[in-house]
Amino acid sequence: MTLATSPDASRARATGASLRLAILLFVADPQWLVPSTIAPIVFGLVSFELFRGEGPYFLTYAILGAGMMSMWGQTLYGSGWATGQDRQLGTLEPTIQAPTPYLYVVLGRIIWNVIAGLFGGVIVYLVVVIAAGGPPRLPNPLLFVVLFVFVMVTLASVGVVFAAAFVYSRYAGFIQNVGEFAFYIGTGCMFPVILLPFWTNPIALLFPPTWALDALRYVSIPGYSGFGWGWEWDLVGALAVTGVYAAIAGTVFSRVERHVLETGNLSDY
Amino acid sequence: MTAPSHDAYQPAFWRTFWTNAVLAPRTSLGFMRFDFVLGTVFIIPLTQMVFFAFVVQLGNGGAGEIAFTAVGNAVATVTYSSVFSVCQTTDSEKQQGTMEHLLVSPASRLALYLGRGLIPILISLATVTVGLLYATAFFGVSIPLATIPGLAVSVALTAFAMVGFGLLLGGVALYLRTSIILGNIFLFIGLLLSGVNFPVSALPLPLQYAGDALPLTWGLAAIRGAISGEALGPLSLLWGAVALSGLISVGLAMGLWGFFERRALATGSIARF
Repeated sequence: MTLATSPDASRARATGASLRLAILLFVADPQWLVPSTIAPIVFGLVSFELFRGEGPYFLTYAILGAGMMSMWGQTLYGSGWATGQDRQLGTLEPTIQAPTPYLYVVLGRIIWNVIAGLFGGVIVYLVVVIAAGGPPRLPNPLLFVVLFVFVMVTLASVGVVFAAAFVYSRYAGFIQNVGEFAFYIGTGCMFPVILLPFWTNPIALLFPPTWALDALRYVSIPGYSGFGWGWEWDLVGALAVTGVYAAIAGTVFSRVERHVLETGNLSDY
Repeated sequence: MTAPSHDAYQPAFWRTFWTNAVLAPRTSLGFMRFDFVLGTVFIIPLTQMVFFAFVVQLGNGGAGEIAFTAVGNAVATVTYSSVFSVCQTTDSEKQQGTMEHLLVSPASRLALYLGRGLIPILISLATVTVGLLYATAFFGVSIPLATIPGLAVSVALTAFAMVGFGLLLGGVALYLRTSIILGNIFLFIGLLLSGVNFPVSALPLPLQYAGDALPLTWGLAAIRGAISGEALGPLSLLWGAVALSGLISVGLAMGLWGFFERRALATGSIARF
């Protein structure tokens, strides 16, 4: 007779196994990092050229924006694929049948996507820095690093919600490809959201990366004027929105599991 | 009763062309679902133009720079339908297991590939047209009525040249495991090398030469020339350059397909990935 493992241990193990599998799949075919880095590298270099002569901190805009776009892209594409791969391979129902909630399986994949996005961000950083002839000045490198990690957490939260939504939608590919620039604009990847018309700002604030990016710019660009409340409140806002996202993801995934148990089919949608 | 002919069956050129034109959007071309087409024509140009307009604004660019960027991106979005979509035909054939059948088909390759390019050319025309309408409506670009005929010729030639370039990439992709990476590279590289967001002259010389190898560079120059009311003489030279880049692309695509077909028949190893 074996001792029953606690639900928490089972969930952590499922997330760990899912993360491990995602890493192995990535190592087997790492070329898939290329598509998510090409666009940010090009956008970073184009922005650097457009900002040329405007001052030393504009390089930070270009690098932060391009790096963020790389991570965003990886999160967005990876999230769609996080559930899409189960659907395509026919493993969605069997995975959901397992005792561990599906959310924890998807979480492992999302965590890897965000980490892979960070690799992409590093590649983008190196290319733009080489093109610019040197790294940007950072007034507070430690705080920058802490906030950067936090940005990754906010991206992961968005990724989980997208993954949940994409279970129900056949428009994952559409949103990823056609909506790509809209996300870059809406979250202010390359420029402060306050440059956009005021009515768009509340919509932009629905996305955790908007808050996190604003905070990052506050600590890395002297004289930056973003949202008037400053980086500390940006952090609070990002935490709050991330919490809401986590709650939404949990609810949606519960619904997904109930739906599967009731109908026994999610592959047709 | 007559003896059966031993001549190989050769489908008519136009039949092959038309069949491929009609079927390819439903089978082998990427990005061809109706919602994707609508997104490509109406959403991507606007969002891409807005994005770069704000980047220019942040870099203290004025109305002139924003208009320059708007026209550039209105035209550059043509790569989604012409390059990214078309170069995926190879992947689709491999994934669907139809590559072998295609390789042994007696159909004219020129008719086959030109046929596949027809719908992408039409979508590309629509994309650039909508993009230029956005440019005039929202980004302060002025397109005088007198320049419309020249602009129409420039846009049509650009769409043809870009689809030719997409076919060329599709030919290269025949030898690759997937065309997606190639498609992604050439989907965006024009933004840097083709004078989309800033004049090509701002680039280092080697990059300027690289840009000259892209049909988008010449197409964009022709479209900018037409909008600025350039005389027919210089404009004709640009049209010639765009047409030449398209013809070279199609020629190279045919050559590549021929080469890789022979390799495939000899080794049996190219049809799958």
